[in-house]
Amino acid sequence: MSVLDTVASLIFYPPIWQLLILGFGGALVVAMVAVWFERKAAARVQRRIGPYWASPRLGGLMHLMADMLRYAFQQVVIPRTVDFWPFIAAPIFGMALSILPFAVTPLTSNPNFWPLPPALMEYSLLVALAITTLPPIFIIVSGWAANNPFTIIGGVREAFIILSYELIAILSLFAPAVAVGSLNIVDIVQAQGLVKWFIVLNPLAFLAAILAVAMSTSAFPFEIPESEPEVVAGPFTEYSGILYALNMGGAYMRRFVFGLLISLMFLGGWYPIVPGEGFILGYALPSLVVVVKAVVVVLAISFLRAIYGRYRLDQALDMAWRLVLPLTLAGILLALVEAYLGIF
Amino acid sequence: MPPKVAVKPLPKRGGLLAGVSDNLAALMIGIKYFLNPKRFSIYYPKEYPELRKGYRGFIILNKQKCISCAACARICPSAAMKMIRVPVPHPKEPEKTVMKQFPVINYQRCIFCGYCVDICPTEALYHVNYHDIVYENLAEMFWDLDTFQKEPEYPTAEEGIPVRLMIHEEYGLLKVPAREKQG
Repeated sequence: MSVLDTVASLIFYPPIWQLLILGFGGALVVAMVAVWFERKAAARVQRRIGPYWASPRLGGLMHLMADMLRYAFQQVVIPRTVDFWPFIAAPIFGMALSILPFAVTPLTSNPNFWPLPPALMEYSLLVALAITTLPPIFIIVSGWAANNPFTIIGGVREAFIILSYELIAILSLFAPAVAVGSLNIVDIVQAQGLVKWFIVLNPLAFLAAILAVAMSTSAFPFEIPESEPEVVAGPFTEYSGILYALNMGGAYMRRFVFGLLISLMFLGGWYPIVPGEGFILGYALPSLVVVVKAVVVVLAISFLRAIYGRYRLDQALDMAWRLVLPLTLAGILLALVEAYLGIF
Repeated sequence: MPPKVAVKPLPKRGGLLAGVSDNLAALMIGIKYFLNPKRFSIYYPKEYPELRKGYRGFIILNKQKCISCAACARICPSAAMKMIRVPVPHPKEPEKTVMKQFPVINYQRCIFCGYCVDICPTEALYHVNYHDIVYENLAEMFWDLDTFQKEPEYPTAEEGIPVRLMIHEEYGLLKVPAREKQG
């Protein structure tokens, strides 16, 4: 076995391939496109131009590349008053945990290309949702460690927002699992088939899930923890350079992760393509369909920046607890009714 | 007795249906502008705003009309304009020369307020309708008497097309080409 074979087997070892190469690299590209789309869409709706002159033919897409390079090579300023180790560690752990759900998300029904052994895939939805609840803790940690009034207020706001969205996110993404009677993502996607997608069968849970994702990744109507006019950048005020990029990129990574989960749970996953044997039919095409659906979800959430203002914290909490949580429970009830009627 | 406080009734909060329809209306407006933006931003070097006559751009001297009153130099709030003494031929005896004062301008200091043009009794100073010119060094921004009499070159007009913003009933502002296309 030569060195090349070893390297290739290491790269194509499913957890590494799915988590680092596809997960991190792909999510980075998706995050860049999402940021670019957010800026361009807001500019279009407000009848401006947005990023343009960096590459007029690509509509300013290179602008985002330049931004990323700038963040990568900028000096990292660490103020003397911060709590050093939590300040450094929080963005890194937050980013790592943001991309960790890729490691349990199957992108095809062919067991050869699952990231985990089939026995472990039984509870993949549970594990993925459990991991998505972890990164906000590190946002609060970074806000606290930076030891600055703005960051502490931002962290406290983030804590309030977590309280309101976490239950909604988990319950609304559980509604399909309740209807199907399985916590295996592959089973849920197979149960949906070509037409019985949960966006049609359970629109209440879908709406609640979209709202929860918007809240959790501070998309626009709920961009409360890092609202620029009120608290400078919220928990990320003292960060600069690559650490700031990790912090801000983490939100887009989580948006993409939730987009993947929504596209698998509600939008029929890899259907209309039925995965077959081999790399192309078994992995490349189905995963492409899933990722395209996820990107559509991500871009739709990013588009909200163009049309909404920002809610106050109490308005967001009020909406979450009094409107969206009953909506989620109604979605669960609907799923129970569907399970009772035996649609699946 | 204190004045009676008038209590205004709070505006009625819409119900759930009103909230849903309002959000949908906002989404529809967003999608409408997303599909048909009708941008009014000006792609600056490719397009440039054509400014009207009377815009306070660069100031040019017409030396023949100047009567050396120095009103422009006195009114200048940023002390950009100064009078210099220049020998000119005597009006009646051409072989003699006399010293006459003329204004020169320092565009490092000029704020384009146009007071000098307003106060000039013989209209010897006038504006051109552009002011976006780049100089490579500060020394070029001191204009001597010869430069002050020539209108500066305007490279933007050679590269870009002039546009104009007009008020539109539906869209508010609308960007239109300032002139008809030639040819």
